[in-house]
Amino acid sequence: MRHWLLLLAVALPLRAQLARPVASYDIRVSLDAASHTISGEQTLAWVNDSPDTVPTLQFHLYMNAFRNSRSTFFRESGGQLRGDRAAEDGWGWIRVDSMKLEDGTDLTQRLQCISPDDGNPDDCTVAEVALPEPVRPGASLRVFMRFTTKLPKVFARTGYRGDFHLAGQWFPKIGVWETKGFRYAEKSGWNCHQFHANSEFYSNYGDYRVELTVPSRFVVGATGEMVKRSDDAKRGTSTYLFVQPSVTDFAWTAQPGFLRFERVFEAAKQTSQEELAAAARLHGISLEEARLSDVQMIALIQPEHAEQTERHFRALSTALKYFGLWYGRYPFRTITVVDPPYGAGGAGGMEYPAFITAGTSYRLPEDVLMLEIVTVHEFGHQYWMQLVANNEFEESWLDEGFNTYSTGKIMDKVYGGTALPLVVFGKDFWSWLRLPKLTQASLDRAAHAGYPVRDPLATRAWEFYDGSSYSISSYSRTGVALRTLEAVLGEDTMARAMRAYHQRWRFRHPHSRDFQQAVEEVSGRDLEWFFSQFVFGSRRLDYAVSEIRNRKLDAPAGVFEKEGRIETVTVKEARRRDEEREKKGGKPRYESWVKVERLGDAVAPQEIEVRFRDGHIERRPWDGAGRWAKFTFTRAAEIESAVIDYGRKYALDVNHANNSRKADYNARLSTEWTLRVLFWAQNAMLWLTALV
Amino acid sequence: MLPLIAFWSGLGRAWRRKRMLALYWFFHTLCAMGAALPLMAAAVPQLGRSRLGDELLRQFDLAWLAEISAAAGEAAAPAVIFAALVAAATLLLGAVFLAGGAAPLLAREEEPYSPEEFWRNAGRNFWPYLRLSLYSLVLYAAAFAAAGLLTRGAEALWGEGLEAKPLALAGYARLALLVVLFGLVSTAMDFAKVRLALSGTRQSLRACLGSVRLAWRNPGVVFWLWACFAAAAAAAAYAFVELAARLETRGTAWVAPLVLLQQAYVLARIWLRFAAWGAAAELDPILRPLPASEPEPTRLEAADYQI
Repeated sequence: MRHWLLLLAVALPLRAQLARPVASYDIRVSLDAASHTISGEQTLAWVNDSPDTVPTLQFHLYMNAFRNSRSTFFRESGGQLRGDRAAEDGWGWIRVDSMKLEDGTDLTQRLQCISPDDGNPDDCTVAEVALPEPVRPGASLRVFMRFTTKLPKVFARTGYRGDFHLAGQWFPKIGVWETKGFRYAEKSGWNCHQFHANSEFYSNYGDYRVELTVPSRFVVGATGEMVKRSDDAKRGTSTYLFVQPSVTDFAWTAQPGFLRFERVFEAAKQTSQEELAAAARLHGISLEEARLSDVQMIALIQPEHAEQTERHFRALSTALKYFGLWYGRYPFRTITVVDPPYGAGGAGGMEYPAFITAGTSYRLPEDVLMLEIVTVHEFGHQYWMQLVANNEFEESWLDEGFNTYSTGKIMDKVYGGTALPLVVFGKDFWSWLRLPKLTQASLDRAAHAGYPVRDPLATRAWEFYDGSSYSISSYSRTGVALRTLEAVLGEDTMARAMRAYHQRWRFRHPHSRDFQQAVEEVSGRDLEWFFSQFVFGSRRLDYAVSEIRNRKLDAPAGVFEKEGRIETVTVKEARRRDEEREKKGGKPRYESWVKVERLGDAVAPQEIEVRFRDGHIERRPWDGAGRWAKFTFTRAAEIESAVIDYGRKYALDVNHANNSRKADYNARLSTEWTLRVLFWAQNAMLWLTALV
Repeated sequence: MLPLIAFWSGLGRAWRRKRMLALYWFFHTLCAMGAALPLMAAAVPQLGRSRLGDELLRQFDLAWLAEISAAAGEAAAPAVIFAALVAAATLLLGAVFLAGGAAPLLAREEEPYSPEEFWRNAGRNFWPYLRLSLYSLVLYAAAFAAAGLLTRGAEALWGEGLEAKPLALAGYARLALLVVLFGLVSTAMDFAKVRLALSGTRQSLRACLGSVRLAWRNPGVVFWLWACFAAAAAAAAYAFVELAARLETRGTAWVAPLVLLQQAYVLARIWLRFAAWGAAAELDPILRPLPASEPEPTRLEAADYQI
């Protein structure tokens, strides 16, 4: 009872913004640091918030993905994720030791592994239990479980290395019951996918109360606020109580060597009145609504990265500020960032509610912004994935891609570009060589342009062509698509649409069509052409200016009928007429044309800009539907150049080089480029011949 | 002091062989064109007609490289790799050939330069120098392996730990060791080239091993000689980067000076390469004098036989 009161005490101040809890957990576990095992019990309070009668329960047992090499995860990934390879014999698993209902009914033996996605009999990342009595609409039930989790050696976001422990997806987690029509579901049922190599997670909102007992020497961090700590000197353990309402998950970490730092994001100091007023004006909200809250920032840093502590906090503050101004204030009281140690990079770069893992390297130079990028990105998931909790299995673009877009805007706005990590003896050689800093926009576009469009963005995670298609589609290509949408709609309209979508779907589970609906409502435009081709389709956008021709119009020669009479004009006579006209100061006239082509299979309305040698500019719209179009002009000057998509709206266009064309070949430019490449080739040759 | 004197002397020797410098520059430029032109043939025509060409000069966009590679397609990769390998092989063989012509003329400074002499030396020394290059690859591999031992040792000691610092420091040490070992091997091979040129033999294995022995017995001299050239190369690179950065920001009117600066840097690197052979030629007779030639037998006159 006490703990529910405590939870209420934390939750009350936030009641206006809280989600309706569907799956709440009260967990008590202890960590055996020697065997890297977590054991304990949990009480799940689940509400059937649908109009359906639910006969079974389905649970995610994510940790079983690392149980052996026959799991679906291992089969699909080949034992590696994001360049990180699973340690030999570093297996992990989860076992439900007991499952009972409130009335004492023992369900343990009824719990069966199922494989709803691929039928893999060796995969046990989803388990189902048939209930003795189905759960009626609106009813709730409490399930008491005892479980044991063996953490793997750090791999795929979770595990241990030495005495560092990161517990992610570590407890039996109930799936999401989706009634027919919920997220456009065609029928009612459990949405509880197996753990795939390319997938992430999906769960209901709930309130979490978690007691963690660890050896006292460990420093602990977790989702939410630590409300109590008690020490047992006899056993040499400490028990931490964390509570967090209205979240979809809970993760934690423990390591003796962490350096723990705290700062406060003071909203009043970090945002100016002008910024708040601008945000309020843009979104048509009050200043009070635009205002941000103070947030306690906690950083758990490795001792050898201590000099990078403030970089973590600056990045977090930047993220809190801009995500807050753009989409709404961060509603939780705390945010914890974890810096994994050397060799535990597999646990880095991950998001959980109010708890993120970043990652850096020893003596990372200031100009190499890898730390800032990952911190801002992982914090961004608080907005895209936690507050707006999309189904990451089925629509990864809604969180990864949206976050890539938002993170890119922040990084480019606040930090400018980043140097790539060309670090020698701890020195940043990229900057020293004066190599250009790279913006997130250019990096995302490079990934998009360099990889063929094989899958729609809204593809289920495990159904992408391959891992590269998954990551590029979910991250970079979505970022580029949203930038394109922003250019099409205008920055302000896009900003309003994004905020409207976020606010509408906060603490809810949207579908891709919900985003489309929000954008169309706010912009007042039909954007089916955009979504059908680039989100639900896999069309490739590539327009080009293919030809420019200028032809001088001589006086006509030949046989003509004029006012009923036949007139013959010889070529000589025509030339004489031309000369006479020019002597009298008459300007020559030119018939010029521009041809534009649609090289890709995507159709998008275009604007062509034509420049003439006399400085005159003509603009023409084109619906972009045909394979090509020709625009003809008759003027006293020749065409100098033409550009299609002159506003560079379509970042999705896979080839910007062919979007413009000049009538005259710029030999100076091509010579300059050739000489540059030649110089680098000469140097490469000299390095090579130094060996012989 | 000796290495420094040899360093300066080497610079002088190389400077006095300007036509050879020009020939080397021409050869490397030709090979570079062979590698660069196919790439530019794919990219430049579009850039020459596109406004993107101007934009890329002001602010390079990585996405352009991605566009090019995507446009070329996966099928182009084997062709590009093949072309690169052919270019590399041609380059290396050509460099060996030219070294056979250049090193003797740098070693025997008193001989005037003539193209005929250069090409005769090049032809004569091609196979010995080629064999020497292959032996040197073994030495480079050994240096790589030796430096790798440092990494392996570090991994064994700290690989399972939670700190990157010891491994990072070991990495720095490995890189430094690798650079030094590569430098020593390269310097030893300079001595071997010179020894082949001075002795007139074709025994490249003997020259190779002899030079390794020279380096082993005179580590201080060899190391400091290498250090002089490494410092000179680093200074040239630093000066180039700084000057080029200033010229880049000044706009298109400064393209010609930038190109001249770039080629001056290439020439400087070639000059240092020649100077290394010249310095080795300066030191070689001091560190391992050639055996004195046997006196010619005295020819006795008939009167000497008178009893």
